[in-house]
Amino acid sequence: MNYGHPLEFGTFITPTGEDAVTLARRSEELGYDLVTFQDRPFQPDLHDTWTLMSWVAGRTERIHIAANVLSVPLRQPAVLARAAASLDLLSGGRLDLALGAGAEPDGTAPDGSWDAIEAMGGPRLDPDGAVDALAEAVDVVRGMLDAGEPTPLCFAGEHYRIDAVGRGPLPRHQVPIWLGGRERRVLRLIGRKADGWVVTLGHLGPGDLRAGNKIIDEAAAAAGRDPAEIRRLVNIAGTFGDERRGFLQGPPRAWVDDLLPLAVEDGAGTFVLICDDPEALERFAREVVPALRAAVDAALPAPLPTGPVRGAAARAKRRTGIDYDGLPRSLARTAVEPGDIDYPRVRANYMRGGSPGVVLRPGSTAEVAEALAFARRHPDLPMGVRSGGHGISGRSTNDGGIVIDLGALDAVEVLDEATRRVRIGPGARWKRVAAALSPYGWALTSGDYGGVGVGGLATAGGIGFLGRKHGLTIDHLRAVEMVLADGSVVRASDTENPDLFWAVRGAGANFGIVTSFEFEVDEVGAVGWAQLGFVASDMAGFLRRFGEVASTAPRDTTAFLVMGPPRRGQPAVAQLYGMVDSADPDTVIAQLQPFAQIAPMFQQEVVIAPYAEVMGMAPDAEHQGRGEPVSRSAFVREVTPAFAQAAERLLTSGVVYFFQLRTVGGAVADVDPDATAYAHRDAGFSVIAMGVDRERLDRLWDGLSEHFDGLYLSFETDQRPERLADAFPPATLRRLRELKGRYDPDNVFRDNFNIRPIPGTEEKP
Amino acid sequence: MSDYGHDLLFGTFVTPTNQPAAHAVDLAVASDRAGLDLVTFQDHPYQPRFHDTWTLLSYAASRTSRIHLSANVLNLPLRQPAVLARSAASLDLLSGGRLELGLGAGGFWDAIEAMGGRRLSAGQAVEALEEGITVIREIWAADKPGPVRVAGKYYRVHGAKRGPKPAHDVGIWVGAYKPRMLRLIGRAADGWLPSLGYLPGGVEDLAELNAHIDGAAVAAGREPGAVRRLLNVSGRFAPTGRAFLDGPAEQWAEDLAGLTLEYGITGFILGTDDEYTIEAFAAEVAPATRELVAAERGAVAAGPA
Ligand SMILES: Cc1cc2nc3c(=O)[nH]c(=O)nc-3n(C[C@H](O)[C@H](O)[C@H](O)COP(=O)(O)OP(=O)(O)OC[C@H]3O[C@@H](n4cnc5c(N)ncnc54)[C@H](O)[C@@H]3O)c2cc1C
Repeated sequence: MNYGHPLEFGTFITPTGEDAVTLARRSEELGYDLVTFQDRPFQPDLHDTWTLMSWVAGRTERIHIAANVLSVPLRQPAVLARAAASLDLLSGGRLDLALGAGAEPDGTAPDGSWDAIEAMGGPRLDPDGAVDALAEAVDVVRGMLDAGEPTPLCFAGEHYRIDAVGRGPLPRHQVPIWLGGRERRVLRLIGRKADGWVVTLGHLGPGDLRAGNKIIDEAAAAAGRDPAEIRRLVNIAGTFGDERRGFLQGPPRAWVDDLLPLAVEDGAGTFVLICDDPEALERFAREVVPALRAAVDAALPAPLPTGPVRGAAARAKRRTGIDYDGLPRSLARTAVEPGDIDYPRVRANYMRGGSPGVVLRPGSTAEVAEALAFARRHPDLPMGVRSGGHGISGRSTNDGGIVIDLGALDAVEVLDEATRRVRIGPGARWKRVAAALSPYGWALTSGDYGGVGVGGLATAGGIGFLGRKHGLTIDHLRAVEMVLADGSVVRASDTENPDLFWAVRGAGANFGIVTSFEFEVDEVGAVGWAQLGFVASDMAGFLRRFGEVASTAPRDTTAFLVMGPPRRGQPAVAQLYGMVDSADPDTVIAQLQPFAQIAPMFQQEVVIAPYAEVMGMAPDAEHQGRGEPVSRSAFVREVTPAFAQAAERLLTSGVVYFFQLRTVGGAVADVDPDATAYAHRDAGFSVIAMGVDRERLDRLWDGLSEHFDGLYLSFETDQRPERLADAFPPATLRRLRELKGRYDPDNVFRDNFNIRPIPGTEEKP
Repeated sequence: MSDYGHDLLFGTFVTPTNQPAAHAVDLAVASDRAGLDLVTFQDHPYQPRFHDTWTLLSYAASRTSRIHLSANVLNLPLRQPAVLARSAASLDLLSGGRLELGLGAGGFWDAIEAMGGRRLSAGQAVEALEEGITVIREIWAADKPGPVRVAGKYYRVHGAKRGPKPAHDVGIWVGAYKPRMLRLIGRAADGWLPSLGYLPGGVEDLAELNAHIDGAAVAAGREPGAVRRLLNVSGRFAPTGRAFLDGPAEQWAEDLAGLTLEYGITGFILGTDDEYTIEAFAAEVAPATRELVAAERGAVAAGPA
C-alpha cells in the first residue's frame, strides 16, 4: 500500500573529505529533497557526522539534512536534542533526525559493532537493551523538543535519566524522528513512536520490506496511531547502463520500473540513493525522478498531497467549533493549529497569553479577505486581528477563537522618493521600518519600542519620540488599503472614502483590516538620544518639575518618563528617555540641560545616533506573554501639583509596578481635533499605570478621574463601557457609531475597544 | 614581568542565544569581516535559550572564511571525549585549520546531572578533564602505532582507532582559576582561558595564577611559553577614560598592552554582542595594541640603552 506522503528523494553520501560537502551541494543543485550521511563515530576516515551536517547546513540553502542513521549509544540524548533544535533553527528548518540503536548483529552497520562502540567509551548493550535505550532516547529527544510544554522534562529510564530540565529550544519545523533498523523490536518501536522508518534495501531479503511495513503498521494501530503518519525511507543503490542487467542495473526506464512497485505497493515515500558518483546522482535526478513521479501519480487513484500531514496527536488538540478541514487551500498551507510545532510561537502576544483555536497567516490582501470570510463563518468565536502582537487594549490573541495574523504582510517600499511616500505592510515592526528608511535619511515617528507592529499602532495614534516635532504616526498617513467586514477591498484617503479614512486614524481596529499603509515620512538625520537616571526623593516635586520642563521644551525634544515604586528604604528613581531631533551635539546638550537640573542623576547616557538605532534596540524575540495585562491610560493637560501628589500616592500604593508619562503636545496639537478619530489633541501628557491586581488598580485610577481628560486607547485594558467615552469625545463617538453601522453593521471587528454600531440610520455608501 | 612572547590574538565572546537564531552567526561573520582572529561561544547544554555550542561552532565555521573558532569553554562532562576528539578533527579539517578547543571541567553540577551527566567533585572533575585531554590527544595522534588505550577512572577507551589528525595543531585551551586546574594546564594544555571578571583581585591576580602554571610546566619538563595565556574581558568605548577598558580605543590599547607586557596575556577575547564594538575593537584597538607591544618588545630585545 501507499501511505500518501509526498514522494521525496535523497542522497546518501560517504562522509569523507571535502567531497562530502561538494556532493551535498550538488544534491541540492540537482533538486534532491534530502542529503544524508552515515554515522560511524568509531571510523577515523569518516567525518564526525553531526559536525559535517552542521557544516553542510551552512553551505546549502534548501535541502534537508539527516544522518543515515545517528548512532545513539555514543551521543547524549538530551544534548542531542538541543543540538537538533539548534541545527534546525540555524538551517531554517532543514534538519531531519534519523536515529539508530548503534550496532546491529546482522550487518546494518557493516563495520560497526558493539566492540567498536565500547572501544570508544560507549556502553555495550545486548540486543534488547539497545532497543530499549533507543526507545528511551526517542522519548527524551521528543520531550526536550516539546518546548511548548511548560513543565520541565523528567524522565527516569533504565539507560537515561533526565531530572527536571527546561525543555527547548523549539525547533524551526516539526523535526521528524525516523529510526533505522530491521529487527522486529525496532519495527514495533517505530510503529509506536517514530515518524519514519529508514531501511537499506540491499540489507533486505525479498518480501522483507512488506513484512516490515506490516509489523510497523500493526504496532502503530495498536498504539492508536495512523500508520500513514510513518514515512518509509528506502536507501537504494544501483548502476546505470544501457541494458537491464538486474534490479536497479540498467537504463533509467528500468530503474523507474523497479522502483514503481516499491512506492505504490510497499509504501516507500522517500528514495535515498546511495551514491558518491556525481554523474549517477545527476542521471537519477534528471531521468529517474521525474519519470518515477509521473508513474506513481498515474498508478495511484488520487494524486499525492502536497500540504502538511497532521498526525492523530496533532489533530486531537483541535478546538471544537472550528471547521478546520474547511479552510481554503491557500490558508491551510500556513495556518497554525494547537498541535503544530509553530503554535508556541504564535499563540501568545507580547503582553498577553492565549490559546487560539487556529492562527491564520494570510500572505496577500486576497488571502486576508479569505481569512476574514472563514472567520465570519464562525460568528460566535472570538476573532483577533494581529499585526505585531504588541496589543494591550487590542486582543490579538484569544482562547479557542480565530486569529488573523498579518505578520507576512511586512513589506516596506518607497513609492516616490521626491514626496517621501512609502508603503508599509501592517505586519512590519517599527524597527524594520526605521532601518529601511534610514538609508534615505528619513524616519517616521512611531513609538518608543521598535518591536511594536505597524498595524496596531498606525490605526490608533502613534505617540512617539519624534511626536512633538512631527506629530502622531497617523498624522503622516495618506492612504490605506483595507478589507471591510463584507470582504470588499477598499482604499481610503482624503479623497477616497474620506469618512473611513477619518475613522481609521484613531479607531481603525473597529472598521476593518488594514492591509497596507501609505505614509509621507520626514527627513530625519541622526538624533540625540538620552537615557537619564534620576533620584526622585521628592516624587511629586520631581514629577511636577519634569512636567514643566518637558512641556515647555522646544519641539525638537520629546521626553518620556518611567517610574516604578520606590524600593523599601530607598529613594524613588526615575528613568528619562528623551530624543532631540538634531545631530548637533551642542543643540542636543542645550536641550537636555534643563532636564539635567530637575534632580540629582545617577546615570547619564547621551549619544548621537540614527533613529533606526534607537528603534533597533528592541530584540527580535518571539512573544511569550502570559495572563492578561492590567493597564490604565489617561491624558492630562499638564502635571498640576494636585496630580503630581496623586501620582506619588499611586506609586507608593504598592499596586502599580510601572508608571509612565509621555509628553505629547507640540505638532500633535497642531492638528484639528475633528480631523481624525484620535481627538484628544490638546493633551499634554499620556499617563500609563500598570499593575497586577485589576480591581485595586481600577479603584485607585478611577479615583484620579478629576485630573484626567480622556485616554489613549492603546494603553487601556479596562473593558467597562465608560472607557469608550474617555477615548472619544461625544461628537467623535457619535460619528464613529454611525460609520460603524455603515461599514461593520454586524460588529465583526470588536477585539479592540469595541464601538457598537448605530444601525441603519445613515444612507448606505 | 612575564611576557611569553606569543603573537597577539584578538577575539570576541558572543552570546550563543537562539533567539533570533542567526544572532551568534551574524556576529561571528562580523568578527571575521572585521579581521579579528577568533570568535568564541560559551557552552551550557542545560540552557535552553542557547544554541548547542558544537553545532553553532560548526555552522558558524562554514559561514566564515578566515577567523578561528573556539568554545569558551566546552562542557566536557556532557560531551564524550573520544567522539569530541573526532568531531574536533573533522571541524578542523573542514574549516581548513580554524578550530581551537576550549575545554572546561564543568561547574554547574546540578544542571549537568539533570541532563544525564555524571556529578563529580571538584577534584574528580580535574582528574576527569586530564583523562579527557589524554583521550583527545591520543585520538589525534594518528601516526602513533597501535590503537588508543586509555584506562582512566572516568573515561575508558580501549582499542579505538586513531585519527583523524586535525589540519593544524589544535590548541587545547582550558578555563581555570584554582591551583589544581592550573597545574593541569601547566602539564597538559596549550592555553589558559580565564575571565577577568572572575578574578577577585582583578588583573593583579594574574601573576600568582601564572606562577602556578609556570611551575607545573617546568616540573613537567615544558617551557612555560608552551602555554598561551588568553583572557576574557569586557569593556566599553567612551570618549573619555574612566576605568580599565572604559574609555577611548587608545586607552584600551594601553590597558591591553600592559596585560601582555606585565602578565603575558596574548589573547584578548571581548565579550560583546554589538557589531560596532566588534569593528572598533578590530580596527582601532587591535593594531594599536600590537604596535605598543611590538615597540616595547623591540626595546627589550635591543637591550638597555
Ligand atoms: C512595549 C510596548 C511599547 C509601546 N509603545 C508605544 C508607543 O510608544 N506609542 C504608542 O502609540 N503605542 C505604544 N504601544 C502600544 C501599541 O501601539 C499598541 O499596543 C498597538 O496596538 C500594537 O500594535 P501591534 O500591531 O504590535 O499589536 P497587535 O497586538 O498585533 O494588534 C493590536 C490590535 O490592533 C488592531 N490591529 C492590528 N493590526 C491591524 C490592522 N492591520 N488593521 C486594523 N486593526 C489592526 C487589532 O484590534 C489588534 O487587536 C506600545 C505597546 C507595547 C507592548
